[in-house]
Amino acid sequence: MVQKNLNMAFFITVGVSIVVFIYLVFLGYDEIKTFKDVVKIIGSIVFPLPILFFTRFIVIEHFLPENTDAYKAENQRPATMLLVVSVVIVLLLIQFLEFVSQKKLEDTLVLAHLINSTTISSYVFNFLLYNNLKANGILSGILMALAIHIFFLST
Amino acid sequence: MNVIKTPKSQTNSSKRELLFTFQTIIVTGLLAFTAIAFFFYNNDLSVVKGIKVIFAPFLSVVPLLFILSVLRDLRKGFIEGNYTKQQILKFALITLGITAAFTGITFLLSKINALEILLAGIIAILSIVFFLRSKIKDILGMSIVTGIAEGIIVYMIFLF
Repeated sequence: MVQKNLNMAFFITVGVSIVVFIYLVFLGYDEIKTFKDVVKIIGSIVFPLPILFFTRFIVIEHFLPENTDAYKAENQRPATMLLVVSVVIVLLLIQFLEFVSQKKLEDTLVLAHLINSTTISSYVFNFLLYNNLKANGILSGILMALAIHIFFLST
Repeated sequence: MNVIKTPKSQTNSSKRELLFTFQTIIVTGLLAFTAIAFFFYNNDLSVVKGIKVIFAPFLSVVPLLFILSVLRDLRKGFIEGNYTKQQILKFALITLGITAAFTGITFLLSKINALEILLAGIIAILSIVFFLRSKIKDILGMSIVTGIAEGIIVYMIFLF
């Protein structure tokens, strides 16, 4: 049962990321005029992969907790806390950056793509290899904050 | 739970080797993509001297083959255990440096207006990557390859 829940969470998170991605492409559809823009989007999607491989290369066997119920029960509370905290912090951070630079996130779509792809690939990476629940919480938090910002806060 | 379950028989060094191979594949793809992007983008590239374009790659492949045949393996391969903090820091810095360097190099490549020189340059980088892949099987090779990949991507995102 617990197993199934976690897998559902995984698929939902990946789904959210894909929706965000499609929405971003849709949002910037008018701006994609030249081959250049396509290159930029592809670049921002590929960006996290080499870093992740490198990280995996170095950190090959740290943080490999057994996925037991005890481990989950122990980490439930901190992970949830981290999720909430990171949602709030990232939302505030985006607002702050928008305020400082006087620019909307939608105007710099490459950045949004970058955040999206980096977060989701680290999430998948973490899920497959390290299964660190705290990192899981933070990454889901960042992704959720991005989704909330894009879908609800930007007018 | 684990979607990709790594078999227990796999050692850390073979995992590292696999990652290294993946990284080189990514770099190869990126380089091919860069070449295509530049070909499309610089419309004024002229294929006047077709023979030159055909022979340009050999310019950089021949030295590679020579070096590969002469040298033996430079490093002992991937280590089994963990790296120390100092090593991690050192190689992360090397990666950063090479990222910066390759952002510059890709920028220079984009300035080249002759198709044959561009092709020779890209194949030269590719040869370096293959050289690293086959001879420097170590964290140093990994960090250099990562740096090359990141440099190209950074250029694509922010400067292209």
